[in-house]
Amino acid sequence: MMPNSQDRDRATVQQTGSIRQDEWSQLLVAVGTQRNRAAFERLFAHYAPQIKGFQIKQGGRSDSYEAGEELVQEVMFRVWTRAPGYDPSRASANTWIYTIMRNCRVDALRRQACRPGLDEGLAVEDVWDEALDEQPLVYLQQYREQSSISAALGELPEEQSQVIEKAFVEGKSHQEISSELGLPLGTVKSRVRLGLKKLQGALAGKKSQEVKR
Amino acid sequence: MIEHHPDQNLLLEYANGSLPWAQALAVSAHIQMCPRCTQHLRQLNELGGALLDQSTASEPASDSWSRLMARVDSSEAESAAPATAEPPVAPRKISDPMLSGAPPVIRKLLHTNPPLHWQRVSRGLRAARLVTGQASSEVAFHRISCGAKVAEHDHRGQEITVVLYGSFSDADGVYSVGDFLVRQPGQVHRPTATQDQECLCLSVVEAPVAVTGLLGRLINPFLGIRPA
Ligand SMILES: [Zn+2]
Repeated sequence: MMPNSQDRDRATVQQTGSIRQDEWSQLLVAVGTQRNRAAFERLFAHYAPQIKGFQIKQGGRSDSYEAGEELVQEVMFRVWTRAPGYDPSRASANTWIYTIMRNCRVDALRRQACRPGLDEGLAVEDVWDEALDEQPLVYLQQYREQSSISAALGELPEEQSQVIEKAFVEGKSHQEISSELGLPLGTVKSRVRLGLKKLQGALAGKKSQEVKR
Repeated sequence: MIEHHPDQNLLLEYANGSLPWAQALAVSAHIQMCPRCTQHLRQLNELGGALLDQSTASEPASDSWSRLMARVDSSEAESAAPATAEPPVAPRKISDPMLSGAPPVIRKLLHTNPPLHWQRVSRGLRAARLVTGQASSEVAFHRISCGAKVAEHDHRGQEITVVLYGSFSDADGVYSVGDFLVRQPGQVHRPTATQDQECLCLSVVEAPVAVTGLLGRLINPFLGIRPA
């Protein structure tokens, strides 16, 4: 995590926010409703490097540069085609694009596995719902400033933030993290649970100051 | 009221996409019935979004944007062209009342499967295998007749059960629509359906590594069955 962005994040923690009003979400709405290419280009300039950085971090693979390029192409193409379904009251642009990226990864893994019956079967989007649209919004005030989540992440003990980052950034299972770090599976699982518990405050919208260590 | 949920670790592996397909299917079915886990999943997705936001940027190749827009343009030219594709086939009606109220992922799964073929497993228990395009787990519906007691059994691999209709009980509790259960191999149990109602569950059983080589083979999840 870059220290200056973390400082910026801490400074904005005090602000309240429930409906997404950030720049990226608004650009995404412009892409969805007006098919605005200038807005899409700005989104690309912001997200393409983030997505590629995410993929490259997946670690130690010689093909990660290529894979990063391919992932950028696939994710941003889907962002363009699916933007009309984006609802800023349900997810921030970051979160929405994260779920699209995750589904692209699942897709890629599934194509590698190449089992019979794959084509006629369920699509990734049937199993990993991008919009969670069919479900009622039960808690209205749920989308908080993502900066408060980042700030809370920065306050986690290293051993907890490490496993959570590996899980999301590298898309690894607990078992894979356990083999990579040479830790028992149970230890990885309990670090994840402890970390998530501490993040709960920020995730549920409380200010990071209230997050207990 | 749903009382049994996937734990935080399972939800995280679903949110980061690392959960195997069959297990993800079961988690998805539960989430579509459970507002609480929907909320947790949204939070985990937010966490993924926050981490994406703070990832170390890596510049894409110089032709990345033009490649992307070439693809966008050609896909839009394609969709603007007069449609030549055959009209969409109307999905088969789900006639089974036990399944018509099932969550979307299950209804979609039914539409992508051939008609269900129910097989008797033991007294009071029938199973219909589902094709999901993977072979590391067996995915099936289990149907327990009204009030039937299934023979005591255990599993060779971890079993996930999601109740889709009715309810059943075992020594540990009562499980009704939406409930999500994980049983480890060796955990012996003896489910009993409620007296007045049949019970239908989605069952996902991890196949032991040794037998997954045989693609498409029906691995009876009740192989560990004991005489009642
Ligand atoms: Zn739940």
